Amino acid sequence: MNRSFLKACFIFILSPIILSLSLVGAHAAKRLNAVVPDWTGGEITCEVAVLILEQELGYKVNQVEFPSGNGAWEAMVGGDFDMMCEHWPSYTEGDTTFIAEFGGDGTALNLGTSGIVGLSDYYVPKYFVDANPGFKGWEDLNDYKDQFATIESGDKGRLIGCPVPGWNCYDQIRLDMLNIDFVADELGSEAASLAEAQGAYKRGEPFLLYLWEPHWAFGAMELVAVGLPQNKTCDTWTEADGYKDCGLGFWPATGWAEDHTFNSGRPDFWNDPENADAKKFMANMNFENIHQSTMLALINETGRSVKDVVQEWKDNNEDIWRAWLP
Amino acid sequence: MIWYSKNQGGVIWALVLVGFLLSLWLVLTSTDKTVFPAFISDPFNFSGWINDGESWMKKNYRWVTRLVAGVIKEWYYSMEDFLIEAPWLFIFALIVIPTLKASGLRLTLFAVFTLLFWGFVGMWEQAMQTVALMALSVFFSVVFGVLVGIWCSQSNRVEGFVRPILDTMQVMPAFVYLLPAIFFFGIGGPPAILASMIYAMPPIIRLTNLGIRQVPKETIETAKSFGSNRIQMLTKIQIPLALPSIMMGINQTIMMALGLVVLAAFIGAQGLGYEVWLAIRRIDVGWAMEAGLCILFMAIMFDRFSASLSKYEEKVTFKDQLVFRLLPQSWYKNSLAYLVENLIEKVYKLVKWFASISVGVLSNLIFLMIGIFDRERALVCKHFLRNNVFIFSFIVVLSLIFLVDIYIFEIGTFPDSWRLSVREPVQVGVDWLAVNPSFVAFTKGMRAFIYLYMLNPLDYYLLHLPWWFTMVSFMIISFVTVGLRFACIAFALLCFIGACGIWAESMITLSSVLVSVAVCFIFGVPLGVLAAYNKRFRNFQEPILDAMQTLPSFCYLIPVLMLFGGNKVSAVIATVIYSIVPIIRLTILGLTQVSESFTEVSKSFGGTTLQTLVKIKYPMAVPSLVMGFNQTVMMAFAMQIVTPLIGGKGLGREIFQALAKSDTGRGLAAGIAICLLAIILDRISMALTEKQRKALGI
Repeated sequence: MNRSFLKACFIFILSPIILSLSLVGAHAAKRLNAVVPDWTGGEITCEVAVLILEQELGYKVNQVEFPSGNGAWEAMVGGDFDMMCEHWPSYTEGDTTFIAEFGGDGTALNLGTSGIVGLSDYYVPKYFVDANPGFKGWEDLNDYKDQFATIESGDKGRLIGCPVPGWNCYDQIRLDMLNIDFVADELGSEAASLAEAQGAYKRGEPFLLYLWEPHWAFGAMELVAVGLPQNKTCDTWTEADGYKDCGLGFWPATGWAEDHTFNSGRPDFWNDPENADAKKFMANMNFENIHQSTMLALINETGRSVKDVVQEWKDNNEDIWRAWLP
Repeated sequence: MIWYSKNQGGVIWALVLVGFLLSLWLVLTSTDKTVFPAFISDPFNFSGWINDGESWMKKNYRWVTRLVAGVIKEWYYSMEDFLIEAPWLFIFALIVIPTLKASGLRLTLFAVFTLLFWGFVGMWEQAMQTVALMALSVFFSVVFGVLVGIWCSQSNRVEGFVRPILDTMQVMPAFVYLLPAIFFFGIGGPPAILASMIYAMPPIIRLTNLGIRQVPKETIETAKSFGSNRIQMLTKIQIPLALPSIMMGINQTIMMALGLVVLAAFIGAQGLGYEVWLAIRRIDVGWAMEAGLCILFMAIMFDRFSASLSKYEEKVTFKDQLVFRLLPQSWYKNSLAYLVENLIEKVYKLVKWFASISVGVLSNLIFLMIGIFDRERALVCKHFLRNNVFIFSFIVVLSLIFLVDIYIFEIGTFPDSWRLSVREPVQVGVDWLAVNPSFVAFTKGMRAFIYLYMLNPLDYYLLHLPWWFTMVSFMIISFVTVGLRFACIAFALLCFIGACGIWAESMITLSSVLVSVAVCFIFGVPLGVLAAYNKRFRNFQEPILDAMQTLPSFCYLIPVLMLFGGNKVSAVIATVIYSIVPIIRLTILGLTQVSESFTEVSKSFGGTTLQTLVKIKYPMAVPSLVMGFNQTVMMAFAMQIVTPLIGGKGLGREIFQALAKSDTGRGLAAGIAICLLAIILDRISMALTEKQRKALGI
């Protein structure tokens, strides 16, 4: 009798403590799950949106790391997160599958353009072009492939391609269709690709690099585009059609179009009247390339964190983002 | 016939040589990579079936899995909020005071250092998130694990059924648990917690089972003779006596949970693992080092703390000698040390006195209050309080901090202004190495050597060797070392790999693992030999090896990426660094375990150190070396999952691509293939040790 009574005393003393603690911890703020894009430019755009959502609109944003690609779309549609930032239309395949305006089934919502306009191409260093006046564009790559070769690529040249398959670049397929005798190397992350390129640049070696604007690399290295063929979409290049190509002149045997990037969200969350203000903000958001480029350069030079740099930008540019709030 | 039995060893070696030459001929005359017959692999659309199954499950049973995930998510968010919003001094007291009581002053100082480190490098929040994930998974693991363990201990049939499952679970690399978790529960905290729960259960189950079964028969008989029924026996005798064993299980579970929770950053879990993941993507070595050290210190702290809970510390000292709390006991002759320890002892006594006074006051108060109603119960309460001074003074301290935070001034989460960084020096160091011409030449040379003479030839060999030859070779090796049944199992498993259409990727992974293990041996065995012979080197090496075994696998990726670039060779090098520890440890074990008498005999016959090493110690150390091989192979397979981040190819890359394309079937097939290869190699190498261990009587 004594022991069980003492145990009851013990619990009686402890439980108010525990209860009050859990009340303290109760979260009253609105929660939002956002995906962190896996390239620095996208991170910056998302961070701008997240900081405004947190500091001006009172959300508690949980930022989740997830590789971009179709998997991320499926996860969002399935309810794992509420928002994704800075989709590039010529890369992403989820838009045509899930967003009604682009022909999808409506399980994802277009939250509006983010303001960033992207351009992508393959680039070679300027010193290579200067040293080889016969090089005019992508058609001449085969003549110089031995200069671009590495130990692993043997006698073929090497393209430092899209870092992850989730970006849907189809580098190797493009090279094969255009008959460029190169091997596309996926190095796993943006940083790995850039580290490889910068290493080669420092040593004065030629390299072929997949790159996009806006990017800090253009400030750090002098690069010249090889001018891939003009972009034209191919309607059968989708998962549903088993990725049937349309031949030369169509994607993926072409370069990329000018990408007006957009944000996407989960309809159940954003159509909720509680989140109407946030939805208006996302639609008004117009974050220009110049701001992203400046911040990219700052991050690369000083090594400061994305959060830090974006917070500083937000503090100093209230007149810009104020206009986006409803 | 006589000739055969006399030269049996020679005949076997001749056959192996012939087989090898045959394989070389087949490879050199082959024109294309070997392809598993299409008539088997085409209809066996494993990934398609899995994806179909997933869609079906999503349609019909999503509500169940989402419900479970939702409940766990709520628990996780509450815990996370509590840990982050609670005043940091509260968390300090919560961790430091029990450590003081259970483990003594040294570990307490280390705990304080660890907590301060988390705050100083600005990763307090992330550390709290990791602690929250870990706490929940360990909690669930222990609850379910103890129940299953008790069930196993009560029934031999259940134990026989569960044991092979536990064996297989321990071979599978941690990451494999994350894939089905995503399948069922989405991404983020809940699948991480559930995957960790399952991953970390085997030690608890095993040790609970063991602990209960090991209760002496006499005790059980005595209890029976006093008329206890089964439940009473279990709850009052078996479980309490099994507690040290269970605590040891909890210790292992905590370490395993921490390992997987950190890895779960890949599927969206937050915390310190996420920090490392971010650092990898930015190639920021300093940042990754900071996060890695946070994880390392957390691991050491929790490990030592939970280990001390399961030990009965018997301090062997003379009756009136001072017990040294801080400095090593062997310094007791030093008068300065004695002075310092005396001081510490006095402080201890003061704190104890203070605590007992305050609890005494409290107990008197409660006595008075309850005494109004029931004097006897009040007396019991008072004595209970007085006998458990520690627990109640602990509660008092916690409540005080809490009240101060609410009413007096806000302590808040760790102060932002207290910042210290180790990033700069680390980054500078690695940057210097990366451009240093002699180092660059060295890395280029190593990269070329490993690629041209080891990785590329082996890749070519395995990819061009006809699939049926590889399969038959595996079967023969399994038959000779393990037995007929396993040979058939190996055949089935390899067929599965081929039928899924990932034969080529599996061969690439196999080649990467074999090259890594070979390099591990080349560097690890000499290091082990050196340590076995030189005690000072061994003492220097031990903590480094400890740290290497605790750091999560992907912390090694960044320095390798920075210094060797992103390619297959870097993947091999990162794998080598991660997996070399067992080889070194087991070489040392093997060499030092050889009975001294053998070395004596060798010396008396005039053997030099080298002769003793090569002819006596080394052959006797072979079982340990093979165990080292086995563990290294397992770790190398586990590392294959992470190396795609720095350019590794093979099955790990399949899993990554599958994750990105949300192709669960493909990811699962690749994950299973890694497991199967690991299991086959594991069984073969363990069987090799078994024969020799038996022969040596170990």
